[in-house]
Amino acid sequence: MRFCPFAKRTLLVLKAKGIGHEVININLKNKPEWFFKKNPFGLVPVLENSQGQVIYESAITCEYLDEAYPGKKLLPDDPYEKACQKMVFELFSKVPPLLLSFLRRQNKEDCSGVKEELHKEFSKLEEVLTNKKTTFFGGSSLSMIDYLIWPWFEWLITLELNEYVDHTPNLKLWMEAMMKDPAVSSLFIDPKAFRGFLDLYLQNNLEACDYGL
Amino acid sequence: MSGGSARSLGKGEACPPRSAATLRRVSGPGPGGRAAPERSHAGGSAPPGPVPEGLIRVYSMRFCPFAKRTLLVLKAKGIGHEVININLKNKPEWFFKKNPFGLVPVLENSQGQVIYESAITCEYLDEAYPGKKLLPDDPYEKACQKMVFELFSKVPPLLLSFLRRQNKEDCSGVKEELHKEFSKLEEVLTNKKTTFFGGSSLSMIDYLIWPWFEWLITLELNEYVDHTPNLKLWMEAMMKDPAVSSLFIDPKAFRGFLDLYLQNNLEACDYGL
Repeated sequence: MRFCPFAKRTLLVLKAKGIGHEVININLKNKPEWFFKKNPFGLVPVLENSQGQVIYESAITCEYLDEAYPGKKLLPDDPYEKACQKMVFELFSKVPPLLLSFLRRQNKEDCSGVKEELHKEFSKLEEVLTNKKTTFFGGSSLSMIDYLIWPWFEWLITLELNEYVDHTPNLKLWMEAMMKDPAVSSLFIDPKAFRGFLDLYLQNNLEACDYGL
Repeated sequence: MSGGSARSLGKGEACPPRSAATLRRVSGPGPGGRAAPERSHAGGSAPPGPVPEGLIRVYSMRFCPFAKRTLLVLKAKGIGHEVININLKNKPEWFFKKNPFGLVPVLENSQGQVIYESAITCEYLDEAYPGKKLLPDDPYEKACQKMVFELFSKVPPLLLSFLRRQNKEDCSGVKEELHKEFSKLEEVLTNKKTTFFGGSSLSMIDYLIWPWFEWLITLELNEYVDHTPNLKLWMEAMMKDPAVSSLFIDPKAFRGFLDLYLQNNLEACDYGL
């Protein structure tokens, strides 16, 4: 789905590794019955290859692509470094539901509690960068973990919520470095389209996923 | 219980110095002999020293199913290790420096590298140590194991929820949900037509989900797999695995632990010691 951050992870990896692919978008507010045969959870992203093998769950699809396809490896070979990337992924895990919760509440009720929690989660990520003394979460070059967490920071930019990283300078620098990545910039969401989608999506409008088409 | 340090150490009391004799080393795939477990480290205890060369340390808790995953992999791969148990109802402050989440299991090696989150520890051990690979090399087969892991993911909170409610209120809703989750796993085995979740041999995914099925056995809740015959056969096959059988929990100790744990008793984690 064009605006799904989880599916964005897979699209970023496909782009970064130059993997030839075709995209079939699913209306997440009105799912086709056949889609549940691809993924019993009924969620995107889902990969399917010409042998009919199906892989779902965004993180699993990304790891599969890195292992199954040649070219630049996004995950490190070293077992400890790989484990570190997965631990950062866990540290990040509260951000998606928090950000969604924040977006649902905006203009409706006091969301300062959610704001504080977001600040706390961003500080954890800031600490990782501060301790590592590198630009990216996996080291001096962009790697898997950066792509896995990027889509939600892209939301901050498209929704002009950049002030949320004012107190986390390394995170801010990381976002600027990410914007220079070819895969990231070529897949950057159009802010107007995203706002249009988000309004309809939060109202459970069946047309949300196709906004702008 | 013999004399010596039977009394538990409270807040502010120093941890007695650790000598080589008191360090319980659990090494290699020895023939079923288990070293006596130590009392857990609690609030106020001093942080442990560095990890000895040649061993990897696991911070654990004797009855924690998540830590059991790591112990199973260590055993299955014959990895020399030492165990430090943590009192999860009264955690030592230093433990949060090892894992900011304050949970077990946590691995620490002699280079001071720390790895937490049970699934991450298991994958790390499989990649970093030689011997039988528990995860498949094929990217699709590996992805399949991870998808089964996701299918299983509702079982741990459901089972805990079921155990909390027993004898208190109507838990038929939870029972039905458990049945539903077990049926999903049954479907995997039925479609694969193999004994184990990864194929004809036991592999990583089997160890990752095993500890909760071990609970069913120790708590005599086997009837929950009556409607899932392949799952039942899988459990019987698992019980024959050397790592599984050598680490099988004593049912009495587990029940004793569970009663205290559900009451938030600080002594739960050391039940039976």
